[in-house]
Amino acid sequence: MNSKVKKITILPGVNKFGEKEHFERIDIKRGEVVTIVGYTGAGKSQLLYDLERLAQKDTKSKRKILINDKIPDKKLRFDPKKKLIASLGQSMNFFTDMPVKDFLQLHLESRGKKSRQGLIKEVIREANRITGEPISPKMNLLSLSGGQSRALMVSDIANISISPIILIDEIENAGIKKEEAIKILVEEGKIVLIVTHDPSLALNADKRIIIKNGGIVKISKTTLKEKGIACYLNWIENYELDIRKEIREGKEIKNVEIYCEPLKSKNKIKR
Amino acid sequence: MKFIIFAGTPGSGKTSVIKYVVQELKDNFKLFFAKFDCLQTLDNERIAKQYKIPTTKKLAGELCPDHYTALEIPKIIKENQDKDIIILETAGLCLRCSPYVKEGLGINVLDITSGDPSRYGPILTDADIVAISKGDLVSQAEREIFRAGVLKVNPETKIAEVNGLTGEGVIDIVKYIEKFSNIKSERLTLKHSMPSAVCGYCYGNKIIDEKETQKRYLAGKELKNLIPNLNCGKCGFKSCNEFIRAVLDGKAKRGQCPFIKK
Repeated sequence: MNSKVKKITILPGVNKFGEKEHFERIDIKRGEVVTIVGYTGAGKSQLLYDLERLAQKDTKSKRKILINDKIPDKKLRFDPKKKLIASLGQSMNFFTDMPVKDFLQLHLESRGKKSRQGLIKEVIREANRITGEPISPKMNLLSLSGGQSRALMVSDIANISISPIILIDEIENAGIKKEEAIKILVEEGKIVLIVTHDPSLALNADKRIIIKNGGIVKISKTTLKEKGIACYLNWIENYELDIRKEIREGKEIKNVEIYCEPLKSKNKIKR
Repeated sequence: MKFIIFAGTPGSGKTSVIKYVVQELKDNFKLFFAKFDCLQTLDNERIAKQYKIPTTKKLAGELCPDHYTALEIPKIIKENQDKDIIILETAGLCLRCSPYVKEGLGINVLDITSGDPSRYGPILTDADIVAISKGDLVSQAEREIFRAGVLKVNPETKIAEVNGLTGEGVIDIVKYIEKFSNIKSERLTLKHSMPSAVCGYCYGNKIIDEKETQKRYLAGKELKNLIPNLNCGKCGFKSCNEFIRAVLDGKAKRGQCPFIKK
């Protein structure tokens, strides 16, 4: 299924005032990472919903979504066994009362896959890469912290809900290692859309879609300079994370040493 | 006339979903909305005010809400022959019953955070459509597991994932309603039988005691044989059962029933 999706297309709908969006079409090809930016309440999550539902002018926005230039089959919309889209929403909690390993097994079954102990272990192992306090297979889902829950959701998407199209809603709010999480989710040859308020994440993508009042107002291609700036911002963030770690471990913070070196060429950018 | 029943536990989002359904249908169809509840509701008035459609509220009071709903359905149909679609909302409370009728469309609004679907009875297993609400609160994994759980207990059902706050997904229900056939006659059949009502508690006994219950049951049965069980309302009560309870509680006199056998 992965190789069959070559591109996804957004055809214009209307904004919150009912005015038509000013673009002809947005094509997102295999391997592209696109961010969706805008103020809170602007309609970013609505665009993700349209994509997840493969909207056919039947949502509030009246947008139409094509896959490989065609109207997708209805079954692709909801049947988990045929779904093309995996999405990480803003939810931070689980509601199911059962151990982590049983839950993952159930999810494998609902996707029509055989359950394998090895795979379940891998999902938990990968989740533990991005969370502070490790998750164990026997822990109850309800007892997981917000960060642990999100980490498990991320790892589930990467390992169980394997799909050619990935939608991510505000991953930076999760209290998990953002960069690691993105690395786990964003694989080669996938189409990835990320709603974000995070400048370094937004500038790291191939394109960004800007949303205002419920409508797409602009599509920008990320410039090389912007990608450089993204790396720089990332470096500052990581520095901040180091300090956070020291605070959490009870250390006294004596001084901040940030050396700003001007960017010279692409090769000099350190991550 | 199409006959649509929405059922679901309190707080599942039935009324919110119905509001969006009404909004989509009201321009093309003559609608009537009946809200069934146990003690109190203002939902029908809100819907009447917001969408300018005729509505009614039916409170079960002392009666089992599902029995009461079945008793009232023929009256509602009779009084609304000029309508295209009747939408009925009920909590379907004890989960042992389902209020759905074979000739109508039964829609169960089911809160995704309410736990394993296998613990619901006919309200879920007899539904033609299961509208899963509050999906935005959980992860994709939980949505998929819940969906699989619903299909396990009701393999034939259609599923709509809805958001009662934004109305997203309700369009799928609207499309099913538009395609659904009209009822052919006034005679409707329940999809699922009601539980037996055969003990003294059904006649209003409050003392938890075997002998007291038996005593109350026999007194109730005797009275039931003397009245016509027409639920005509001439005694001042909605139904004969409520009249019997009131007599046994000393709150009404036998003579209030004009048809009682001497």
